[in-house]
Amino acid sequence: MRRRLGRIFGVLLIVVMLFSLTACSKSNDVSNGEDKEKKVIKLFHRFPDEPFNSFIEKIVAEYEADHPDIDIVVSSAQNQPYKEKIKVVVGSKDCPDVFFSWSGEFSERFLREGLIMDLTESFNNDQEWKNSLLESQVNEYRSGDILYGIPFRLDAKMMFYNIDIFKENNLEIPKTWDKFIEVCEALEAKDITPISYGNQDQWPSSHYIGSLNQMLVDNDTRLKDLEPATGEFTDPNYLKALEYYQQLIPYFNDSVNGLPHDMARNNFAQEKAAMFFAELVEITYLAEENPDLNYGMFSFPLIEGEGDPTLLTGSPEGFVVSANTKYPEESIEFLKYFTGPEVGKKEVQEVGWFNAGIGIVEGLEDQKLLEAYEVIKSAKTMSGWFDASLYSTIANEYLTSISDLTNGDITPEEVMEKIQKVAEEARNTSSTEVE
Amino acid sequence: MMKRKKLVPYYYIIPGLFMVLFFVYIPVICNFIYSFFHLSSYSSTKVFAGFDNYIKLFTNDTFPIMMKNNIMYAVISLIVQVGFGTVIALLLESKLTGRLRNVYRNIYFLPALISLTAVGLLFTFIYSPDVGLLNSALRAMGLENLTQSWLGNSKTAIYCIIAMSQWQFTGYITLLMVVAIQNIPRDYLEAAAIDGAGPFRRAVNIMIPLVKEQLLVCSIITIIGAFKLFTEVYSTTSGGPGNSSQVLGVYLYQNAFLHDKMGLAAATGVLIFIITVTISIIQIVVTKSGKV
Repeated sequence: MRRRLGRIFGVLLIVVMLFSLTACSKSNDVSNGEDKEKKVIKLFHRFPDEPFNSFIEKIVAEYEADHPDIDIVVSSAQNQPYKEKIKVVVGSKDCPDVFFSWSGEFSERFLREGLIMDLTESFNNDQEWKNSLLESQVNEYRSGDILYGIPFRLDAKMMFYNIDIFKENNLEIPKTWDKFIEVCEALEAKDITPISYGNQDQWPSSHYIGSLNQMLVDNDTRLKDLEPATGEFTDPNYLKALEYYQQLIPYFNDSVNGLPHDMARNNFAQEKAAMFFAELVEITYLAEENPDLNYGMFSFPLIEGEGDPTLLTGSPEGFVVSANTKYPEESIEFLKYFTGPEVGKKEVQEVGWFNAGIGIVEGLEDQKLLEAYEVIKSAKTMSGWFDASLYSTIANEYLTSISDLTNGDITPEEVMEKIQKVAEEARNTSSTEVE
Repeated sequence: MMKRKKLVPYYYIIPGLFMVLFFVYIPVICNFIYSFFHLSSYSSTKVFAGFDNYIKLFTNDTFPIMMKNNIMYAVISLIVQVGFGTVIALLLESKLTGRLRNVYRNIYFLPALISLTAVGLLFTFIYSPDVGLLNSALRAMGLENLTQSWLGNSKTAIYCIIAMSQWQFTGYITLLMVVAIQNIPRDYLEAAAIDGAGPFRRAVNIMIPLVKEQLLVCSIITIIGAFKLFTEVYSTTSGGPGNSSQVLGVYLYQNAFLHDKMGLAAATGVLIFIITVTISIIQIVVTKSGKV
């Protein structure tokens, strides 16, 4: 009996081992086996939510139908896990051929390592491609003269406001900071939460600080400080920006740090607050959360400072091509289609996002989206997302310190001291260290 | 024949040895080596850093916060999970529970079966400032002034996470202790009863000394768990607000995958390794000498 049990156990063990072996090799079979003649292009994106995921699947299926020799394998991950996964695969042999990447420092570190393709030449030699896209937006994917990506969804930050609440209280859109504070004060007096704000994930604060810095800090100084090798953050205007931010704290809802951004958006959608600093891509979400919400948007209130108030806070998000792809031409061809005006038209109609294609809003009736598109189109220069433009350790220090500042645990002076310290470390290490 | 028999056992060890070698020992050694370099996950170049990563780790402003949080987690877990868990186990094994003994045991054990991430999400909702269960309950009881932004306040965040773990794992320790108590020979307890010892006396003077070993093992598991803490923090606050709920595990992860500082992450890993190995060695030494 015992012997038999042992034998059964042995067989079981072998079965399990064989099974796990086949499981390991399975992924290779898919790409090498049945589609041997087809060229496989791997696409990796960060929009697994609906309707965006289905939209991408549909667009890819249409492309495959038109290009029988191409097989596009799509995979996706959520925002935060995406950042981690892409960093692990980008240096390996399994790097996807076409993948999502934020413009600025996030992509540029891959560019420095030679991991993503320089698209400059292909782009410049293709007049049709060049003329089909908004130049101001494409430029966001340039490092110096090198073009390394193409925008897939354009985005900027605007102050959204509830038109009904503003009308009921006889309030006007505030153009300047002082007027903005007056509006907040008036709302507060009526027991209405002026600004809905959730900073549990810490990045939302960087959009406030980013916009304030743009208004207050001299543009050359600001750009110099974004470079890890030269960043100092000693300009007194950075401190001023934090003090302006502090002025807003009484007008936010309670427990800002305990509330995720999407819940804050929901509060705005449910008319629990009068204003919300939001991204244009959130229009789709707002329509879903409360289709009847009567809201508009205005630019971040103007502050007299040394900065450049014409800068628009935000940055497009797009796709890049791996430098190690087996099919460079095919990948570029797909990228051109995927981020081009033809897809752009469908994109705005079906999911409410814009890409950089020219003429994509033709026939669009949604006034909110048209208004949003006009904002982006008329912007000469984008400033980039503050947290994404910063060297990662400085970004981290900014985010954690601002979260403490929001709770009232530290002063603006202490925040700047910490940031200057980390910036100094970044200056010292960025020359000797692999970033 | 004799010779063959002597070799045979080693064949059986080979697969296991292979696995342990490749998945445990070699990575540990690699990690140790990496901690002396500056490197990132996607770059092929490594730069030798000496003790730079260790200096950075120990002089960091968040280092004392992390150590404090990890130690607080260990201390509170010891008191609640091991202390309180043992009391529950004794109660479960007493006559008080009667026929529902199994039901109670399962109720206590159930939370330990839920995935850590799911528990993290669940408690994010419980602690949510506006619609959360905890604040709603406080308001319903008329304790409006006790409501808090639980995870958004630097003073309460880490304790909320610790509380969540106590809810989840006390039942696990309870179950381990129940097993140990069931292994106590009935004769001892009967003899004590005949001598006139009441239930409380029997628990303190007979049961607890006899499950001493198991108590120690549970304590060690709990302490080691406290230093490996990751998912609970990562799925609720990610170390925020500020750095107030930062712990070693999350710090390691963020440096490795967000800040491209694999070397610093490896150094943090070495520190966690040294702490847990030291505790394990203490356990081995103490259990050897602690024979009843």
